[in-house]
Amino acid sequence: MTTSWLGRLPRSARVGLLAAILAVVPPILTRLVPDLFAGLEANVVGTGTYLAAAALALNMLMGYAGQISLGHFALLGVGAFTTGILTSPTRLALPFILAVPAAALVGAAVALVIGLPALRLRGLYLAIATIGFSYAMEQSIFRIKGLTGGSGGIDVPRPIAGSFTFLKTADYLAIMLVLLVGLWALDVNLTRSRLGRAFQAIRADEAVASSFGIDVARYKLLAFVLSGAVAGVAGAMYGGLVGTVSASSFGYQFSLLLVVLVVVGGLGSRVGVVVAAYVFAVMPRLFVGVFGEGIRGWDLIIGAALLMVAVRNHPGGVAEALRERKDKRAAKRRKASGDPDDSQVAPSLPQMPRPPSRAVDTPLAAGVPVLRVSGMTVRFGGLLAVNEADLVVPRGQIVGLIGPNGAGKTTMFNAISGLVRPTEGRIELLGRDVTGDAGHRRAASGMGRTFQNIGLAKDLSVTENLLLAQHSVADYSGWEALTALRRAPRVERELRERAREAVAALGFERYADTPVRQLSHGQQRIVELGAVLVTAPELVMLDEPSAGMSPGAAENLAVRLRDIRDQLGRTVLLIEHNIPLVLDVCDSLTVLSAGRVIASGGVDEVARQAEVVSAYLGEAVPA
Amino acid sequence: MTSDVLLEVDTVVAGFGVTTVLHGLSFTVRRGEVAGIFGLNGAGKSVTMKVLAGIVPVRSGHVRYDGADITSMPAEERVARGMAHVPQGRQVFAALTVEQNLRLGAYPLRRRDKSRYASVLDGVLDRFPILAERRKQIAGTMSGGQQASLAVARALMAEPNLMLVDEPSAGLSPTVVQELFHTLKSVAATGVTMVLVEQNVAFGLQLVDTANILQVGQIVHAGPVADLDQASLATYLGVGRLLGGGTSAALAGRRAPVKKTRVTSAKTNAAAKAAPVRKAAAKAAPVRTAAAKAAPVRTAAAKAAPVRKAPVPGDDRG
Amino acid sequence: MSFFESLTSGQNLVLGLVYGGIYGLLAVGIVLVYRGSRVLNFAQGEVGTVGLFVAYFLITEKGLPWWVGALGAVGTAVAIGLLFERFIVRPMVSATRLAVAVATVGLLLFLLAVEFRFAGESPRSVRGPIAGDGTSIAGVVVSPTQMLSLAVTLGVGFGLSVLLRRTDFGLGVLAAADDPTAVRLVGVRLSRVSAFTWGAGAAVSALAVLLIEPTIGVFTPGFASELFVKGLAAALVGGLTSLTGAFAGGLIVGLVEIQVGSLTLTSGVPGVPTLAIFALILGVLLLRPSGLFGRGVAAA
Repeated sequence: MTTSWLGRLPRSARVGLLAAILAVVPPILTRLVPDLFAGLEANVVGTGTYLAAAALALNMLMGYAGQISLGHFALLGVGAFTTGILTSPTRLALPFILAVPAAALVGAAVALVIGLPALRLRGLYLAIATIGFSYAMEQSIFRIKGLTGGSGGIDVPRPIAGSFTFLKTADYLAIMLVLLVGLWALDVNLTRSRLGRAFQAIRADEAVASSFGIDVARYKLLAFVLSGAVAGVAGAMYGGLVGTVSASSFGYQFSLLLVVLVVVGGLGSRVGVVVAAYVFAVMPRLFVGVFGEGIRGWDLIIGAALLMVAVRNHPGGVAEALRERKDKRAAKRRKASGDPDDSQVAPSLPQMPRPPSRAVDTPLAAGVPVLRVSGMTVRFGGLLAVNEADLVVPRGQIVGLIGPNGAGKTTMFNAISGLVRPTEGRIELLGRDVTGDAGHRRAASGMGRTFQNIGLAKDLSVTENLLLAQHSVADYSGWEALTALRRAPRVERELRERAREAVAALGFERYADTPVRQLSHGQQRIVELGAVLVTAPELVMLDEPSAGMSPGAAENLAVRLRDIRDQLGRTVLLIEHNIPLVLDVCDSLTVLSAGRVIASGGVDEVARQAEVVSAYLGEAVPA
Repeated sequence: MTSDVLLEVDTVVAGFGVTTVLHGLSFTVRRGEVAGIFGLNGAGKSVTMKVLAGIVPVRSGHVRYDGADITSMPAEERVARGMAHVPQGRQVFAALTVEQNLRLGAYPLRRRDKSRYASVLDGVLDRFPILAERRKQIAGTMSGGQQASLAVARALMAEPNLMLVDEPSAGLSPTVVQELFHTLKSVAATGVTMVLVEQNVAFGLQLVDTANILQVGQIVHAGPVADLDQASLATYLGVGRLLGGGTSAALAGRRAPVKKTRVTSAKTNAAAKAAPVRKAAAKAAPVRTAAAKAAPVRTAAAKAAPVRKAPVPGDDRG
Repeated sequence: MSFFESLTSGQNLVLGLVYGGIYGLLAVGIVLVYRGSRVLNFAQGEVGTVGLFVAYFLITEKGLPWWVGALGAVGTAVAIGLLFERFIVRPMVSATRLAVAVATVGLLLFLLAVEFRFAGESPRSVRGPIAGDGTSIAGVVVSPTQMLSLAVTLGVGFGLSVLLRRTDFGLGVLAAADDPTAVRLVGVRLSRVSAFTWGAGAAVSALAVLLIEPTIGVFTPGFASELFVKGLAAALVGGLTSLTGAFAGGLIVGLVEIQVGSLTLTSGVPGVPTLAIFALILGVLLLRPSGLFGRGVAAA
């Protein structure tokens, strides 16, 4: 198959070509068929365009990073007012081309200010805070006379290039479209980079993100900043389009509208939210065009009613509805060709690739274990979950942490991996004191772990999760990610190659692009195992790996665990309730009961101790 | 239809999300009996309770209560028919007073026959003097043990035929557990039918007449408490091998009571084959391979299914 | 006014309580719906405004007595609330709360569109229940409507909780917010609880908007959007969990708004009361997310 000349162009050239084509169409149209494409149509398309940009901005924050904002139109306002202040003839009268990056910068700065308190808020509370912010901006900051011209507002003149003024809306539309294409390309770069994957991991589960080495707080702020920058640019576009910006254009109701667009278009879907924006802008004109002027007033009623019904029937948005249909068909195809038995756990595990930066294990002096926990105590309010517990995991062993329910195993696990802060105690990883390190730093230092409810970003595919898991070995900066320049594409190719090898080692080639949530529980566990192993962590922590597995799979798990120890040379710490598995596979055991270590040592000696058995059988009440 | 059977669970398959937790659960509870359900964590105890309550849907199988098939009956209706709950973690209405909690507990009673409310309330308060003292106290401010009493009292307010008690000892200190024990013992003595799910097996065994032991979503043993000793108990729970080598040998010759599992799905077909295999596994001298563990029935079933990967090295592990 | 003058002004106190009572009622409505369905109803204010339009039609155009108009207002609002709950909220029981919130924005847009189509955007007014201008009591000017408003809002705001506690079903409503499963396990149907919270929330909104309108003067479609934000702030201050807390939060927001608004110090900066309210919101969220009166958990 011959590749067309188009396909052989570098991506940036293709993007530029697209932008050029889009940009040229409206000015040509308006000159060729002035009656058809008059100012009104251009205005409508212009509205759709800046709304699309705003929707992309909000999608970055809500759809990718999962942080809610009901105040994004205020950020638009920030960008619009910045543009006004810079370009207005009564103010700084600078060229429009300077206003765009300025609007981005100011938008980013304001978003950062919102983002800081947002770190401590979630969901509903974040929503209320952002409404409050939006309301305060519109009622107060945007009305300060000296800054924004009070309620009269500021004029934003159309840009000038040499002797040509973009006075016709259709001409200005060209600029808007070029900007939109640029923002779209940025979004594409974002989602294809470790940045975008980190956002999506945060949205899926912050603990899981942290376990892949992602500094959740930092990336949340980054999401706000990026989103604010894009919103600022959207504001600049808006300002130039409408000509005058004043406070009343930025009420919180418009922010709500933006959220509606993003949710209905489909959270996380670039295409969905842009289409939603354009549909919203075009709809009234369409109604009038089809049903005549008499429809005015009714079009909004019908539109709103349709909106309610659409959200009710497809809460995930249009993009989600389409995706679901595609997934169903894919699932049917898979079923037809037969599902591999999930007892075939990771057949070629020894072929699991290893990143060059992790090629050599940290040398340890004799007798220094991979993990040493000393005197750990974890107190929750009045409850003592873990009570002066010690744990040693020597290199090259599989150590089991067992005990009845409520004994504190999970708490101890979480304290070791950094999700929970111990009240007392010391944690040494590879000979280094990591007690004060945040979870993501421990993860990046070689501690990998699984989770009871599967530590993966369930909406992402198997391959994307394996890329996500390599976050800590993807060494390129955020800028390089966004611009897809320099190191980033090369590193991404290496990551993809490694992910491909990992998928093969797991025997999951046919599922490479399947969203993880469509896999069975056992299959998800296998992918999770692969994700944990792909960066060859020095300590592999497994949280009840056999839970929910069929007995066949659990048997094969034992074999794979030994492979991990013997073939891959990893050290394993696991929590388990499946005692036969533990006795088969572990080299040593630590038994917890009611927060205390009641036995520890080689498997044989521990197993026979009476306290261990009675821990499982419970305590009778004295008669 | 035996009229002394109040509750019958028949080959129930259930779970949540993509996970199946119960793989063909079956047991019966007779009128007036106190039946216990025991198992390690992950065996399926809480899902069993939720299925009985009507909160988790059943994928296949049936649940019959007092002669009626309630498999798809919503929770509220089951309550109206005489089921009462003492949920895991007590779940008292923390913002309401003790009396308001009891009144809400009597919701089904008051809809049936409001006039009985006063006398039932008096009876319950007699039984729980601690609660009588604290009638007006906000439930959330009471101690764990007092909340446990309130949860039991609340369930009694509905004058239930069947009480479902979910891990009552969880999260309580030993002294409180002791008080709770006496409370539950006296409630059981009134003759109300109870199903008790417990993690603390020894505690539970002191309360129940019949023990149903759960492993990997199936009942592996059901029978009178008197028939159980430590060794068999440990085996049925799945920790038998912790008792040291020879556990399976100790079982040799012992006949585990066979539970008739009616097979409905392909997955549980293997279980049907396994029923006689279980006895065989019990009798056979244990070879240290994965299949002959004194472990769930379905591991033996896996032997019937093909594809075993690399043979497990014959390490001796306890 | 100076700071001290503002604090000791009786006029400020009364006005703050009047507005505060209204915000409190709106907050009660917000909290009711939140407890029933775990969602913020963005149409909370607008449902009341639709009722106001109905009242206008009955009172001003048809000349019927005020109480008839009030009944019409509340009835219309309740109908909207119940219909929305039945046909949109309940089918969305397993959808994300964000999606349901978007549906309420859809309701908001729908109601606005209906108002624009049938009533238009020209300002209107509805007279208060009791004729007559303000009387002066101890130097404070207060109109009969405002007095009635105070009485009704205080009554409903503090009384609703009491009323709920008196009935079995009401107890179920109160308990359902904290523990819907446990409530099902005593046999209360959550669908009825849900319907009640939406209907009662709508009724309370209609009452609030109807009572404050004479004080504000004129109304147009969407004018309640400001009231809504303040009601939201009030609900948050109250902790989003308790009805009386929400009402008390409303009184606090009202008093803060009026006090701050009357200070000469800040009269140069526009929208200072709004900034004050925003600061209050932020302060509560960051320092005491469970609100001043609530027991709730910080994470939503």
